[in-house]
Amino acid sequence: MAEETKRNGKPETSHHPETDPERGDKNYYGIPPIKRAHWTWQIYVYFWVGGIGAGSHLLTVIGHLLGWRDEAFFRTTKYTTLATMTISPVLLIWDLGRPERFLNMLRIVKLRSPMSTGSWALSLFGSMSGLVATKRAAEDGLLLGDNFLSRLAKLVPDRLVSVLALPLGLYVGAYTGILLIATSVPMWARNWLLMGPTFLSSAVSSGLSWTSLVLHLGNWGEGKTLGALKKAEKIVLAVEAVLIAASLVRMGKWSKPLFSKKLGPLFVGGTLVGGIAAPLVLLSGKETRNKSILASVLVLVGGFLFRYVMVVGGRESADDPESYFTFAKKDGGRPEAGSK
Amino acid sequence: MATGFLTDTTVCIGCKACEVACKQWNQLPADGYEFTGDSYDNTKQLSGDTWRHVAFIENPKKKRLTGDVDLVALAEDVKEDLPNGAELDGLGRWTFMSDVCKHCVEAPCQQACPTGAIIRNEFDNVYIQPDVCNGCGYCVPACPYGVITSVPEDGRAFKCTLCYDRQIDGLEPACAKACPTNSIMFGEVEELEKVAEERVKQLHDRGYPQAFLYGTPEVGGTGGIKGNHSKFILMDVPETYNLPENPFLPQDKVAGATVASAVAATMIGAAVVWAFRG
Repeated sequence: MAEETKRNGKPETSHHPETDPERGDKNYYGIPPIKRAHWTWQIYVYFWVGGIGAGSHLLTVIGHLLGWRDEAFFRTTKYTTLATMTISPVLLIWDLGRPERFLNMLRIVKLRSPMSTGSWALSLFGSMSGLVATKRAAEDGLLLGDNFLSRLAKLVPDRLVSVLALPLGLYVGAYTGILLIATSVPMWARNWLLMGPTFLSSAVSSGLSWTSLVLHLGNWGEGKTLGALKKAEKIVLAVEAVLIAASLVRMGKWSKPLFSKKLGPLFVGGTLVGGIAAPLVLLSGKETRNKSILASVLVLVGGFLFRYVMVVGGRESADDPESYFTFAKKDGGRPEAGSK
Repeated sequence: MATGFLTDTTVCIGCKACEVACKQWNQLPADGYEFTGDSYDNTKQLSGDTWRHVAFIENPKKKRLTGDVDLVALAEDVKEDLPNGAELDGLGRWTFMSDVCKHCVEAPCQQACPTGAIIRNEFDNVYIQPDVCNGCGYCVPACPYGVITSVPEDGRAFKCTLCYDRQIDGLEPACAKACPTNSIMFGEVEELEKVAEERVKQLHDRGYPQAFLYGTPEVGGTGGIKGNHSKFILMDVPETYNLPENPFLPQDKVAGATVASAVAATMIGAAVVWAFRG
């Protein structure tokens, strides 16, 4: 065989991955064996907004249960939940291929489909938190004075409704993670145990930061509230850091997309350093208003970037044949699969 | 009664009659006029508009024929000493495979579908009801074989129906009807399993120990999928055909993930309560 035909150790016989010296793709012409989700920007924006709503609702319930009296605090958490639960369905319906059929989501309950249970949880939680916020609006005189609607709204047993809505709200914060793991995408499916808890911790830290941000910006809220929020932010951020670290260990080599050229700076800089480490440092030092505001903004931005890199990283993971084939191998990423 | 396909890749000649018959019967548009240069495969993969796809795998050998070689004699399997120690396989070989929806026994797409649009019909095939699907796209990343796909122009997801309409009228699916070498066989799953077993044994006896059936609970239909109603006789590792060896049912992890999230919710809630009491 003539040596000049042999480049990269490959004889030049045809345009084929095994023989074409110019090609580096493996398997079937490097074509992805699974298909990525079509989800566009509405989805990661929803993951973020919905998380803030879930976190805010948790604060509403805890505030009520502990007999908190800070009116500005409740106004912030209740109106935040209302606003986020109004925006969320709009974003989700927008993303559908056939938006006019969105109600088909509610024609059946499927406990093994997080998309189904999530739609139900969002609908019920949105309605219930809407009732709670409407009562608050009536008390605040926002329903145009003393009219029938306002009197009706004041009859809402808001504490009971908000307690009943709490599990649903927390599920809205967590199911976005479960939604990702119940797929064949290696990066997501690999982290099946910790994805839900990680998304939930990020939802609560975002809710706390948002509430703290609003109260600081408006110069509202009692000192006691702001102190409690700060303390809670620190704990939840620490939990989030542990969960993300454990997730990365669990994902192993399948976490590669998170550290790609495109997503790496956003994930490491935006989420890990900017969204968790820096706020923790800011909140640990001597308290000033500006530092608290900066910490809250950083947490919110970091939480958004976390969702962005998780969703977009899943696309890259699905597009990588090697990643899927090593994952879906005997003794691969899922040795425990099928053992049930 | 469950019906399905058995695709015997060993007799496939890569004519793409199945692809064409499928497109014609189901009135599916073209995916575009892309020239990939990847062998003779310009369709690349299954999609919402392509429900049968013929994979073209070239098996070129490392040795190159030089000098005066009698190619006719080679093709007629004449054993002779070849120049430079070249082998008969120096000519290279083809592997073809007509890919299709696997119609899983426990179908991940069906379990993912939040609207109930994806059902099992009376032939035990996995079928998308186009009048119910609202295009959420969640079935797409759920499929372990990359079959089901959203069609952006339409909004909904589509895949092989196993020619539901033809089956109702007692006809076999268009691809099986069109296949000139009977590489695509249609019938009852149990019958096809017997045919497959016999064929694999025959191939083993003829000196092809690498032949195996893909789509059983042991290979391809693994991890809770419990096998596929459309199976394949393959001659190489599944990855050669862009198929996973050991896929899994993603929904098996939903219960565990939900419990983990509930535990986390309790702990995070308790932490916030503690902060607010302090």
